[in-house]
Amino acid sequence: MKLSSLLLLILALILEVSLTTIPLVFLVLLSLAVLYKEAIIFPIAFLFGIFLDLFTFQTPGISSTILIIFLFLVLLYQRKFEIATNRFIVASSFLGSFGYLLFMKYNDNLLLQAVLSSIIGLIIFRIIFKFKDQKLK
Amino acid sequence: MLKRGNFTSYFVIFLVISIALFGISKTGVLNPVTSFFQGGFVPLQAGIYGSFSKIANFSQSSDIKLLKEENINLSQKIVNENNILQDNKALRDQFETLNPRSANLIPAQIVGAPGFLPGISTPETLIIGKGEADGVKVGQAVVYKDNLVGQISKTSSFVSEVNLVSNSSSSFTAETLQTQSLGVVKGQGGGQLILDNVLLSETLEKGDIVLTKGDVSQNGLGIPQNLVVGRINSVSKNPSELFQKAEIKSFLDFTNLTEVFIVANP
Repeated sequence: MKLSSLLLLILALILEVSLTTIPLVFLVLLSLAVLYKEAIIFPIAFLFGIFLDLFTFQTPGISSTILIIFLFLVLLYQRKFEIATNRFIVASSFLGSFGYLLFMKYNDNLLLQAVLSSIIGLIIFRIIFKFKDQKLK
Repeated sequence: MLKRGNFTSYFVIFLVISIALFGISKTGVLNPVTSFFQGGFVPLQAGIYGSFSKIANFSQSSDIKLLKEENINLSQKIVNENNILQDNKALRDQFETLNPRSANLIPAQIVGAPGFLPGISTPETLIIGKGEADGVKVGQAVVYKDNLVGQISKTSSFVSEVNLVSNSSSSFTAETLQTQSLGVVKGQGGGQLILDNVLLSETLEKGDIVLTKGDVSQNGLGIPQNLVVGRINSVSKNPSELFQKAEIKSFLDFTNLTEVFIVANP
């Protein structure tokens, strides 16, 4: 995982704590977990979850717990089938965002937010995928 | 491919730490640490929110902005005029004067207003750059001009969270300006407000202004009297029901606010 991924996460964090309830940090973490499949995603999710809680007035630890559990579930699927696909990202972004928003009580237009999250999740995934692909070439 | 054993140990370790941290945070032991980080982030958060508000406001025509501001000022004038009339009546009838204390206001910059679509959908809460260090306490009312914005729901040393009047957990007593009908204003989420629990014998009129009835505790926390909540948009009255209700539209556009005032001493 490179510096650009960290910058993308920081940008997502800043936007999420200031402007939107769409779980951008979760969406970036999901794409990074699926593409890189590295265990370091857990300490990163822990750290960004803490920052997210601090700046959105949640009890520190709640977001980290949700993020870590969801990323673990996602990585469990890699043994069953290929997870670095558009379809998997859309489905997991939708379900993950829905659960996260429900848990955090951001109930305004919940379904619409989850749908938009899955679209944004797919865009983030394609950007990171392209970036990773170019680096390999 | 990452082997399951490789990440399971990481998962278990960080899950345990997260849960432990959550438990410790609940006791309040970590409050100084969280306040330190929140305080350090306030200028950046305020900068981002301010820049975004400017971009969002830029798209609105100046005429609309002017009309909205004028609308707020006019509603304020109507309420003031009504108060003067009431004062005058009290003076003449009872030979006593009313001497309302001027509210002690703390100005606060909005540093965050997470909503579904930034600048479009109404947020449920606001995060402001003033906290316990500035005298902010949970329960204090937050206003913009004479309009009620919400109530402080959480505080730390340098930042606080404001529950907007339209938040689904918001509820307080109110009365209408013209007909003086009593009721309870309830937030519905998404910027929606209703005046509920109004007796069928009372009169609700479309266009009437809804004011706070006032609910201040002994220690000075709560919502002061005569703050503007909004204007009645529609009335729903069914003879078979116990109460009637009305839909209220606030004069404020919560998505475009950049500064609010905390009523420190009503």
